[in-house]
Amino acid sequence: MRDRVERLLERLVRASAVERIAVSVAALFASILVGAVLVFVSGGFASCRTGLELAGWTFCYNPVQVYYELFLGAMGHPLQGGWSPMNYSLATTLQQTTLLIFTGLSVAVAFRAGLFNIGTQGQLVVGGLATAVSVVYAAAIVPGGLVGTIVLIPIGVLVGAIFGGLFGAIPGALKAYADANEVITTIMLNFVAVGVTSTLLSWQFQDPNSSNPQTQPVPEYAEIPTIPYVGFGGRMDFSLLAFAFAVALMVGVAWLLARTSFGYELRTSGVQPEAAAYGGVDDKRMVVSSMTLSGALGGIGGAFWVLMVHGRWLENVPELGFDGIAVSILAGNNPLGVGAAAFLFGILQSGSRSIGTATDVPPELVGVLSGLIILFVAMPEFFRMIGSRYVGVERERPARADGGEAGSDDGGDADA
Amino acid sequence: MPMRDRLPIPESGYMQAVVGGGLVATVLFLALASPSTHTATLRLAVPIALAAIGGIFAEKSGVINIGIEGLLIVSAFTGVVVTFRLGSGESTLLISHHWWGLLAGVLVSTLFALVFAVVCIEFKADQIIAGLAVWLIALGLAPFVSRIVFESPNTATVGTFDNVTVPVLSELPLVGYLLFDTPPQVWIMLISAVLGWYLLSRTSFGRWVVASGENPKALDTAGVDVRKVRYAAVLLSGVFAGLGGAGFALGQLGTFAGGGETDIGGRGFIAIATYLFANYHPIGALAGSFLFAGLDAIQVRLQAAGYAVPTELIRTIPYVTVIIVLVFVGKTRLPEAAGENYESGED
Repeated sequence: MRDRVERLLERLVRASAVERIAVSVAALFASILVGAVLVFVSGGFASCRTGLELAGWTFCYNPVQVYYELFLGAMGHPLQGGWSPMNYSLATTLQQTTLLIFTGLSVAVAFRAGLFNIGTQGQLVVGGLATAVSVVYAAAIVPGGLVGTIVLIPIGVLVGAIFGGLFGAIPGALKAYADANEVITTIMLNFVAVGVTSTLLSWQFQDPNSSNPQTQPVPEYAEIPTIPYVGFGGRMDFSLLAFAFAVALMVGVAWLLARTSFGYELRTSGVQPEAAAYGGVDDKRMVVSSMTLSGALGGIGGAFWVLMVHGRWLENVPELGFDGIAVSILAGNNPLGVGAAAFLFGILQSGSRSIGTATDVPPELVGVLSGLIILFVAMPEFFRMIGSRYVGVERERPARADGGEAGSDDGGDADA
Repeated sequence: MPMRDRLPIPESGYMQAVVGGGLVATVLFLALASPSTHTATLRLAVPIALAAIGGIFAEKSGVINIGIEGLLIVSAFTGVVVTFRLGSGESTLLISHHWWGLLAGVLVSTLFALVFAVVCIEFKADQIIAGLAVWLIALGLAPFVSRIVFESPNTATVGTFDNVTVPVLSELPLVGYLLFDTPPQVWIMLISAVLGWYLLSRTSFGRWVVASGENPKALDTAGVDVRKVRYAAVLLSGVFAGLGGAGFALGQLGTFAGGGETDIGGRGFIAIATYLFANYHPIGALAGSFLFAGLDAIQVRLQAAGYAVPTELIRTIPYVTVIIVLVFVGKTRLPEAAGENYESGED
């Protein structure tokens, strides 16, 4: 397993940043193309009044219209009249982008350490509940108003990070000390997270004034504030401050990985565990600490989902953690790339709502698209083959010896 | 469960402990749990055991098929949709539409396995990431199609296979209700386990599969095409997983909920833990699936009994057990070349 991951990462590091961006963009277009075919063909099985008549068959869905709604709907239709950048759809896009930056970073950090963290979802669920509960309880002893905002939000985010981190540390420790495959344990822990949090909710934290499975709301002053006069206020559930925090965290993680000795050790453990161990890195502790960091980022995602979107924890947590996998893979597990990939998936999420309202195409299309994107990003060889067939580029494989650069600082910076 | 006796006991003390513990647990389970829990266990084992048997072939050949969960989802969903479209309760060519549904489920699962195989073998994709992609695509595709056909992420109800009841034999104690008055997918599972074991350990194809995962170079040198062996093994994993998914949906559920984690709910991943636990032995995997299915059946029972323990917590029992099992089998040795792409020198 380790061997394989190592070789994969080596390959990823060796591939130039340009090539990787090219592969990601090509994967995106290939997915959109396959998605279009899927939409068109499935339209033949749907029932509708008007559609495209072809060979005695009625095709109900128009892929062009679907993508129009998906991409422009996510921006609030900028090509139509009366458009303002502070519209609800764009707020949703940026809200999803913010949350996906956290989950994408969570997956990326683990991946760079040579670990597959499929458990970001569970870490987000656990961290989110911890945030909601801690803020609700702390609000009772903290004064309200601006002081409350300044005290409660950091408490909530910190508690979310701690609980997410602890929940992430479990598969890390199981991997380090019992060699339990982290792909399976993290997936199982996602189910455990759902079971444990809903048990805790019904046992202790259920909002007595609601029949929905949810916690009590945090006080309004403990929600992430919006910047007055700049926009995205009211009921848009998006705050530019949260977005700025996500971007800052992203830069921070990039700096941590590229410029600190911890980051260097983490990356070396991912690319060359033997070399890292030889260089004095305690590989077991590294596995636990990188999974803890990854879990903490997932937990922060949960904290912001609670404090920015709903103001409370709900039992039905959206699959932000799974989308984080797609975000990280599309970004080549590069923290700065996560921002761009998260924006794309933010568009897909927000656009799926506009598909749902403006067309008859099921919004689950977006789930299929993200799966396709992962599939295509996983096969750069496919695009290289196509590329060499049509452009006539010689397929060149770097000699094994060139890999020596992979672990060095230069190799790491090249992906930034 | 009678298969368990024939399981060859490996030399290592660990495996002896596992098999011994399993026998004790089996006896206790048969003595203490009710007949309805026994039959539920057998039926709930179907998707886990068949996915595990399929996964064994893929992984033994060197292709880790973590997308097996996705194969269960697409086959279960397809089975129900096709049965519904043809008209449940009716038959075509004297064969009940449930069987046509099963066949369609197996075909679609095999098709997905083919795509996965092409992506991994032809385009040298990372197997884990490609497998995750297959899972996520299935997770999106099932509710997507379901909304088109049923206008809901959940399908309509199509009913289940009729029990196959053998006269006289079904009157026997224990084995009577377990084996001779049971829906057909249970027999598919039992036969597949024996067939899988036979294929893997008694035929030259089985030896090629093992060699392809352990030492592809040697196999190549011996004149066997590693790619073809891997294609066959991955396709086979699609067939077995398809039987498991469609058999589970058409024999046990009678419907398919495509929302959230879907009705499959991680059984494909449990299957992976199962075959690691069984050290890639198909009949061992069958026995292992009884452990998880038994826990599942017990938790359903506990929920129905209405104990003070919350249902949500009880539901996590099988998942927690998987983690505990993985902690103890962490040292299972993967095939030497598992996860690696093989390039023949002839390129």
